[in-house]
Amino acid sequence: MVPEILESLKDAVIKGKRDEAVGFTKEAIQEGIKGIDIIKEGLIPGIRTVGELFGKGEYYLPELLVSGKSMQSALDIIEPMMTSKGESFTVGNFLIGTVKGDIHDIGKNIVIMMLKGNGWNVTDIGVDIPPEGFCEAIHDGDYHICGMSTLLTVTMPAAAETIEAIKEAGLRDKIKIMIGGAPVTQEFAEKIGADEYAKDAWEAIIKAQRLLDEIK
Amino acid sequence: MTGVERIIKALKREEPDMVPHMELGVDRKVREAILPGASYKDFVEKMGLDGNVIFDKVASWSYETVDETKRIVRDQWGALTQFGSETIGHPIEPAIKSEKDLDGYVPPDPDEEWRYESLKKWIKRFKGDRAVIAHVTDVFDIARESLLGDVAYYEAMIENPDLIDRVNKIVLDYNLRSIKNQLELGADALAITGDFAMTNGPLVSPKFTARFLIPALKEQVRLGLSLNVPVFKHTDGDITKIMDMLVGTGIDGLHPIDPMAGMDLGEVKKQYGKRLCLMGNINCGPTLSWKSEEEVRQEVKEAIEKAGYGGGYICMSSNSIHSGVKPENYAAMIKAIRDFGQYPLDLD
Repeated sequence: MVPEILESLKDAVIKGKRDEAVGFTKEAIQEGIKGIDIIKEGLIPGIRTVGELFGKGEYYLPELLVSGKSMQSALDIIEPMMTSKGESFTVGNFLIGTVKGDIHDIGKNIVIMMLKGNGWNVTDIGVDIPPEGFCEAIHDGDYHICGMSTLLTVTMPAAAETIEAIKEAGLRDKIKIMIGGAPVTQEFAEKIGADEYAKDAWEAIIKAQRLLDEIK
Repeated sequence: MTGVERIIKALKREEPDMVPHMELGVDRKVREAILPGASYKDFVEKMGLDGNVIFDKVASWSYETVDETKRIVRDQWGALTQFGSETIGHPIEPAIKSEKDLDGYVPPDPDEEWRYESLKKWIKRFKGDRAVIAHVTDVFDIARESLLGDVAYYEAMIENPDLIDRVNKIVLDYNLRSIKNQLELGADALAITGDFAMTNGPLVSPKFTARFLIPALKEQVRLGLSLNVPVFKHTDGDITKIMDMLVGTGIDGLHPIDPMAGMDLGEVKKQYGKRLCLMGNINCGPTLSWKSEEEVRQEVKEAIEKAGYGGGYICMSSNSIHSGVKPENYAAMIKAIRDFGQYPLDLD
């Protein structure tokens, strides 16, 4: 049974009450609950509910962001404690960036927030990343999934060029590729050879998990 | 019938001699490919556009260069803005980092005469012939992107609504004075751009839309109408949930009935066609960017079939003619509007 304090923490994340989330996290630690359990039984169920509400159109960007901030405030307390004890919790490794020519980052940042909240270790390589930038990061790192975002219609071809470059560099088998952004469609994702398309941050979480299950 | 008459008639939900066409903007690269060497004004005239929107960020905002190599400038509100492939830059660092910054904040002065030089030139060349359309970027857009930054703005909507009211008021004051100045110079209509929605629905809840976005929009619309010009609003995205609120501000027209967000032009015409002029809907994503000219032609025909009967439709792209649009597709779109858009419509 989930301790009551973690139910309260989950509720604080859903409602975006940062001070409460911090308070309940500290209380949980004082009660002797392990960091990893606070994350798994308090924070993740909380942010998942937020994602579901966003996916259903009941939550919007403001609610999503304040919930994300509440969760991050709790993580800021838990993570140093876990590190000092040599504990860690990671679902998988995710590389993310916006494609060449595109400097918009709010969509990417929301996806990062949701991924982190769901236990992913995320490396953000930033905006306006040329194909060789993605290739270099994939080559040098150890990632399960590479996510690329393009907000503009005009930068969509850059996503295709990036996937092509990843293939040419012989890295395609090393990584699963997800794509998102306002003008992107399932049809486009299939056409350029991405593994998954996600229409919003919540779908990105669900599909990332599905791809990870395929890998493992 | 002149272009301006066509546009005004359509905005008033009446039937002109043919379905009008104009754009919020036509990228230089596309213009250059269609009519090499032509200025923007020559392009509008030679291609027979019925009007042009004098976009505030291009025509009347001031910028200071910060980093030439990275194409970073400081906009007139104090935000760092970076230019990518498009004419309009993207804010990367807002002007206001804490509420304290706001106490000593000095907004730009909309009464500086130089701001209206571009508009005056368009009016001088086209007055009485083509619609010269005044423009402001909406309060929500400027206050969010340039003043507070996206994330801080959205968070403050929940955690510090008074801050939102303060920044909105600063921008609204600027915009109202800018609108008055532009319309007194003789602009024929007013365009207010700035997205209230994204592909999946409104950016903020209908409750927050009503509380924070609609009041400022309404004031700007009211001022335009009180100065006897029609007013239209542009917002991308799926606006189904906030459509009644938008209509309730008194706007005459709505652009672009975004097909990429699943907005159905025919449905919107059925529900709102008596109260609104519909504008846009020709998909500037796949259709104009990489489909064939024949597919463009079909999409224009279908749009006119859905929204053109009885007037009240201005055929435009679903955002603007951006740099990724195939020039031949845009030329095909203009031709198709002429071929299919003559009243009385006969599209069988």
